[in-house]
Amino acid sequence: MRRNGLLSLIGILAVVSAAFIASLATGQRPLLGIDLTGGVEVVLEPVLTDERPDGPTEPELDQTVEILRNRVDALDVAQPDITRQGSLVVVQLPDVDDQQRAIEIVGTTAELQFRPVCSVLPVALDVDDAIDQGLIDPDALESDDGTDEEGLGFAGEGEYAAPAIPLQEDEPTPEPGADETPEPDAEAPVVDDETPGAVFSDAFVPPSACDADSLELVAEETTASEDIRRDEPVLLDQRDENGLVVQRYYLGPVPSAEIEGEDVFLVGTAVESADAFTNGLEWTVSLVMEPGDGGIGLFNDIAAECFASSAVCPSGQLAIVLDGTVESAPNINAPAFDRSNISISGAFSQSRAEDTALVLQYGSLPIELEQQRIRTVSASLGSDSLRAGIISGIIGLLLVAVYMTAYYRILGVAALLSLFVSGAMLWVLVSFFSETGFFFGGVTLTIAGVVGLIVSLGVSLDSNVIYFEHLKEDIANGRTLRSAVDRSFPVAYRTIFWADMAALIGAVVLYLLTISSVREFAFMLGLASVLDLVATYFFLRPLVKLISRTDIAVERPGLLGLPASVRRARA
Amino acid sequence: MITDTAEVPAESPSRARRMYRNQLEIDFSVWWRRGAAVSLVMVTIFGAALIFRGLNLGIEFEGGAVWEVPADDVSAGDVRDGLAGLGLADASIQTGGGIVQVRAEVEVTDTEAAAAVAVALADVVGADPEDVSFSDVSASWGEEVTEKAVRALIVFLIVIAAYISMRLEWRMAVGGLVALAHDILVTVGVYALFQFEVTSATVIAFMTILGYSLYDTMVVFDRVRENESRPSLAGRVAYQDIMSLSLNQVFMRSLNTTVTSVLPVLMVLLVGSFGFGAVTLREFGIALLVGLLAGTYSSMFVAGPIVVMLKNREPEYAALIESAGTSGQAELATLAAGGATPRRQRGGTGPSAPKRPPSTVIPPRPRKQKRRN
Repeated sequence: MRRNGLLSLIGILAVVSAAFIASLATGQRPLLGIDLTGGVEVVLEPVLTDERPDGPTEPELDQTVEILRNRVDALDVAQPDITRQGSLVVVQLPDVDDQQRAIEIVGTTAELQFRPVCSVLPVALDVDDAIDQGLIDPDALESDDGTDEEGLGFAGEGEYAAPAIPLQEDEPTPEPGADETPEPDAEAPVVDDETPGAVFSDAFVPPSACDADSLELVAEETTASEDIRRDEPVLLDQRDENGLVVQRYYLGPVPSAEIEGEDVFLVGTAVESADAFTNGLEWTVSLVMEPGDGGIGLFNDIAAECFASSAVCPSGQLAIVLDGTVESAPNINAPAFDRSNISISGAFSQSRAEDTALVLQYGSLPIELEQQRIRTVSASLGSDSLRAGIISGIIGLLLVAVYMTAYYRILGVAALLSLFVSGAMLWVLVSFFSETGFFFGGVTLTIAGVVGLIVSLGVSLDSNVIYFEHLKEDIANGRTLRSAVDRSFPVAYRTIFWADMAALIGAVVLYLLTISSVREFAFMLGLASVLDLVATYFFLRPLVKLISRTDIAVERPGLLGLPASVRRARA
Repeated sequence: MITDTAEVPAESPSRARRMYRNQLEIDFSVWWRRGAAVSLVMVTIFGAALIFRGLNLGIEFEGGAVWEVPADDVSAGDVRDGLAGLGLADASIQTGGGIVQVRAEVEVTDTEAAAAVAVALADVVGADPEDVSFSDVSASWGEEVTEKAVRALIVFLIVIAAYISMRLEWRMAVGGLVALAHDILVTVGVYALFQFEVTSATVIAFMTILGYSLYDTMVVFDRVRENESRPSLAGRVAYQDIMSLSLNQVFMRSLNTTVTSVLPVLMVLLVGSFGFGAVTLREFGIALLVGLLAGTYSSMFVAGPIVVMLKNREPEYAALIESAGTSGQAELATLAAGGATPRRQRGGTGPSAPKRPPSTVIPPRPRKQKRRN
């Protein structure tokens, strides 16, 4: 029994200090909420429309978060935090410089666009460099006739296949039959190994809308998402799963037509549905366009241009762009399509096909997000709050320490040590969750959380108080210190356990059913309850047992805050 | 000391020492009556405040926009003048506590307009626009937050009631929940009475109180449970005596725990109020302080007597009231005095000791009488 206790004591001290040191050494720290650092927090909620009475589905929400993440990356914020809480999306941007811009960027609705590909630029190569390297012929840039149509041409990935042949071979270049116009050569270097269809040509073909002037305008750097205009050419990135830019596309304006006096663009609303399917060997995306001029009509207009690799779409590729990121840029391999029988093929993996289908589907009914709550906290207010929290915590802890030591003497010190053990565990866990995003997308320490911790200070000490009071009682009842220590603990621990369970149940209910700050608070309270049980059992119990075995404890129980007159049960 | 009867040693000079040794012998049934009066008065006052004054809800619940900037020595009039022409004529302006707060009842959808107000406000108080904190909440969000909180509360109560019923017994669940309701009413009532603003921080504090109150009640009831099943007391002592004994036994624990819980909260309140302009901390602090004190009080003076009341309806305990539970008084006194029940004494507490009063003795009438005491 005694050895057991010693083992437990040494064990927990070793584990906790190792974890604590490791946590410090690896630089893991609790992630502070914006109310402690300053910054912007925006809570977004999908708008329920007639078309979406039930709100977005899970994958659509994930897609939304992904889109927001891409946008926020452009803001260059140190630790952006985007989490989903039910159907809500919470964006936290600590230390953001331009708060107003941040709010605007987060607030706009993502749009799916189809844009003809003018040319594909290698990564990190702007147009001037491209011209210098002979990848783009500057003369060609100017040689165009300047119609206001759009389009350009290059090889990309996958193909839009016409009916009957739903599965295309993985041909990077346009299908035969595209005779006239500058046909991009497929001999150029393969840029993207992961998408075998992706090839780009060194023959730059100048288009109308992809003319030199507009190219000059956009080609300096990737077009910022807020600068994207439907009727202007853009330079956009394509990224892999890790968010690395694998290719840059110079894209023409979104194809448009004037229908009944209004400009209609070939955007997500022209898509009726999309789905990924397989024939057992390869994955393909089926695309169904909306009927009418604004749907399949527009699509076929640009398809014809691309199929012919005309000046509007010299590459023969029609890019799918979602929220300023090129999702895919398949070739057009037929001059016209039946609206319900378009397939996009190209050696897709299952996940890639599903992603593409999801993007198209998302585009057909974009999720409009409403900003339910915006909060900007100035950096000075944030740091003031943090300081105030820390100061009140420290003073509170000191007062409690004085009280406990005065009342329980050596046992009081043991209680404080136990508090430090659970505090260290808490630090390690909160840092770990913060850094790894474990636990439903991570934990942020907010003011609410800090207060939760300060409150749990008192409650944690209560376990010790319950134990010590039991001890006193048993000794007053005539037990020896030794037997009282052995006997009291199970009784007291039972009380502590059930009471902590009640607190834990409360915390879990709150965590599951509430949002934002209440959740953060509930998390801290729940965690503290569990750690309290652990520290009491594995640390306090053996420690008190050890103390009780010392000579001084037996001779001068007053030092333990225990009754001085110990009556012997046998007396 | 062992043979002392259960009298309150009010004048005893060694009271502090007795407290320290857990040897209090407070007759709680006397205090419950006083407590009931106190509770009744509090519930009436706070209930009335809640009904007639209502809560001063923050924008989290009502929707609207708030700008805050740290500033001293600025009058509300100055701020109003500085914001003229920005469409904030109806905005309420609060100064003091090192903070100027401008609150508009409607949501500000235009971020540029919001920024313009921030600039103007910064200009008035002579601060950097970056020091202005801004919150904007849509009205529907407020409804949602409230709805979620209420739903969470209901589920919480059901789950907890089930938990206590399973772990202890349903009567204790009732007692615990009534105590919980009491604490919430008192705390919310303080906010209504003094018209403190209710923010999301306050709601969190209310939730904390739920947890704390419950925790405290569980600790007390666990001890009651233990005493109830003591062979020397079971079936021999009236329930209120068991409850009173248990409360005496856990009194120091409750006192100490309250001290260790209240001290940090007090610090939160003080630091939040007098330094650093940490408004959120102050918002937490008031609710927590009131709630913690109410929680300790209600475990003893609300949850306890309710369980006694319910228990006394049971035939077994009703009978004991009739016989005044005399048979177990000696043990009760011994336990209350914090002394042991030495083995040699066990058999010798008197001839009546081993006899459990047969449950057929119960006349239903006296039950009622007793409860009205």
